Amino acid sequence: MSNRQQTVKRFSKWVIIAHWTNALAFFALYITALPLYTDFFSWMYPIFGGPENLRLLHRIFAVLFVLPPIVMMFVDPKSLFHWLKQTLTWRKEDIMFFVKFPKEFFGGHVKDMPKQDFFNAGEKLNSLLTITCAAMLIGSGIVMWMPHLFPVVLIQWAYPIHNIAFGLSVAVVVGHIYLSLGHPGSKASMQGMTKGDVPVKYAKEHHGKWYDELVAKGEIKEEKPVKKGKGA
Amino acid sequence: MTTIFAKLVDVTRCDGCRACMVACKNWNDLPAAPEEFKGSYQSHDKCNAFNWNMLTFTEHEAEDGRFEWLFRHSACMHCTDAACVKVCPEDALHYTEFGTVNTNYDKCVGCGYCVQNCPFSVIELAKYTDENGKEYEKAQKCTMCIDRLREDMMPACVNICHMDALVFGDKEEMEAMALERLAQVKDRYPNANIYNPIGVDGTQTFYLLAEPPSVYGLPENPKVPTSATIWKDYAQPLGKAMLGVTTMAVIGGFISNKLFNKQGQEGGDHDE
Repeated sequence: MSNRQQTVKRFSKWVIIAHWTNALAFFALYITALPLYTDFFSWMYPIFGGPENLRLLHRIFAVLFVLPPIVMMFVDPKSLFHWLKQTLTWRKEDIMFFVKFPKEFFGGHVKDMPKQDFFNAGEKLNSLLTITCAAMLIGSGIVMWMPHLFPVVLIQWAYPIHNIAFGLSVAVVVGHIYLSLGHPGSKASMQGMTKGDVPVKYAKEHHGKWYDELVAKGEIKEEKPVKKGKGA
Repeated sequence: MTTIFAKLVDVTRCDGCRACMVACKNWNDLPAAPEEFKGSYQSHDKCNAFNWNMLTFTEHEAEDGRFEWLFRHSACMHCTDAACVKVCPEDALHYTEFGTVNTNYDKCVGCGYCVQNCPFSVIELAKYTDENGKEYEKAQKCTMCIDRLREDMMPACVNICHMDALVFGDKEEMEAMALERLAQVKDRYPNANIYNPIGVDGTQTFYLLAEPPSVYGLPENPKVPTSATIWKDYAQPLGKAMLGVTTMAVIGGFISNKLFNKQGQEGGDHDE
């Protein structure tokens, strides 16, 4: 990758902080949850100073997990609501994405992918699942943390809900991480979530509609067509 | 498979003397747990961490208008399909060689899942303070005097019962005895029934009741909560399977990318 590449700002500093705080909290919660989930990980108890300590740590990280969206509401509501709005907006091109995507996932190259939003359909689905899982995890988690405030039936259901959301969120995260780290050409998206900007070429290929908007607003110059056979 | 043992509580014989409570406290060295007076002869609301068994005193009006005291020795039911054992994440609650349900205090971390799922609400957490002043909790309930059983003795409550309202032995024999007694008491208690609920696959403490279970404050159809079944029998195994499936998909994607996507950077596009 050359340094002279034209880039465009994608994420604000707060989005990046929120994302990585969430990621950190998620993994801390994941690790502290493993021995609670299956006996297979019982060997982890001594490392964390026993089951009681592990449960305490789990609750501390739970607070960290809840914080990012709340803080975002105050420091950068614009980004937060833009993300939410995009996540909840589904059009034809979003559905088409999932028809074309499997080929690309397994290494093919899709030429006729319909133009995607600021968040493409894959990111939208990831966000939707993340929000759903987080809502289930936090909601049931509060009930489990303070059982004396809730009726017994609610407490009893909190456990399976917490469990289901855990399984689902881990599955989502595995896919998310793979697509951001393991898939070829992932550097650009990673740059977006670390430095905040992405190459214009990447914006054009992955977020056509957003790219068009940027060009229309005059924020970027139109990318010259990529010459065949030449790397970015 | 060893013999399954059971305690039959024949409430039609009980005279409410409470000796079973005292014997239990004595043998198991349980501290006093006073509750305020609530206008009844009944000493406590229900079984708790330091009252593993207690006598319920129900004031009942019989069909002919007669007033009756209904006594019931209540304790852990020792379910065959026990919700507490199902939900315990530490395997602290387990089945013993006698078919009863016991707590391993070394493994119990006081999470309270058992308390929230017991259909009979007999299990409770007891608070303790260790030598460093740190508080911790353990689930406490009737053990069917497992330490006595292992020495070929009866549970303390059964041993002391002077009315033979509590009898203990091989479960099949106890069931036969219950049926025999049921026939004997039918003319005196037409509503008499045997309470050995199938929703939990039967219990190792079971009853010959003079009136329907609800009169005695017992659930008519107790069962392992549906949420617990969904959690332990479906969600958890499925979650483990799903972890496997996603992992396989990712490995598959990685390999096929290595094999087929030779241009590497030129393709370059992917989406999270």
